[in-house]
Amino acid sequence: MAVTETITVGQELPVLVKEMSQRRIDVYSGVRPRSIHTDEAWAHAKGFRTTLAQGMMSTAYVSEMMTRLLGAGFVKGGTMSVAFVKPVYAGDRLTVRGVVKEMRPEGAATRVVVDVWCENQHGEKTAVGHASGLLS
Amino acid sequence: MSEFPKLTYDALTVGEQFLSDERVVTPEDIEAYAWAVEDHHPWFSGPSPFGGAVAHPTMLANQALHLRHTKYMVHAGLHARMEFQFLEPIRPGMRVRSRGTVIDKYVRRGKQYMVTEFVTEDEGGTLLVRGQFTQMLIPEPAAAPAS
Repeated sequence: MAVTETITVGQELPVLVKEMSQRRIDVYSGVRPRSIHTDEAWAHAKGFRTTLAQGMMSTAYVSEMMTRLLGAGFVKGGTMSVAFVKPVYAGDRLTVRGVVKEMRPEGAATRVVVDVWCENQHGEKTAVGHASGLLS
Repeated sequence: MSEFPKLTYDALTVGEQFLSDERVVTPEDIEAYAWAVEDHHPWFSGPSPFGGAVAHPTMLANQALHLRHTKYMVHAGLHARMEFQFLEPIRPGMRVRSRGTVIDKYVRRGKQYMVTEFVTEDEGGTLLVRGQFTQMLIPEPAAAPAS
């Protein structure tokens, strides 16, 4: 079910806040030795201050935001393009944001394009891109 | 039995292909993924507009992202970019696999990258997800010279 009946260009979507716990990273990535995601010593050896969340976790958060907005029109017919611009570390708090950028006809539906990004607790962007889905 | 060479920029060939193992999508997988990303949408346990439970659209992304591990030992890497098209919902009980092709490799600002185009499909060949991703290769340090 979409969270809104009326979508307009410029609309800010409700933010999501995610605490990046090591336990959730472990479940997402699978615990392995010699992994920058789950092996702290290995992450240190690769030059990181601690373990990193997979960038892909941020795409899951964008997917959640888009499914809340568009429902079935994102699950089937959705798109996403995201660049991972800064590492996300275990213990970070991510805020996921979106602003409706464009609405254009596509067949019998309307494609809703959203600028999306994630910020860490310091206000630094960690992922940026856009996502879209169909509004029937 | 195949050998697994170390993944290096030079070893990688544009046009080479990868194929994942087949995996059954289980309700437990869907639940675990939902827990990991803190998204407990009611459609993940059903019902949904698609007639039953569906998985998170990004749930199979790691199957695609790990394609290079089916041929190489990967020292370390970073994910730089991801693109998806969600074509059909992922449902419990599906047997799914991903196929990928290396479509580019390049060096930018001294860092090595590879670009892989992929599809994830069910046992009947229906495309579920299509996309491409860019991964940075973190080279293995050269062995220290003998002293």
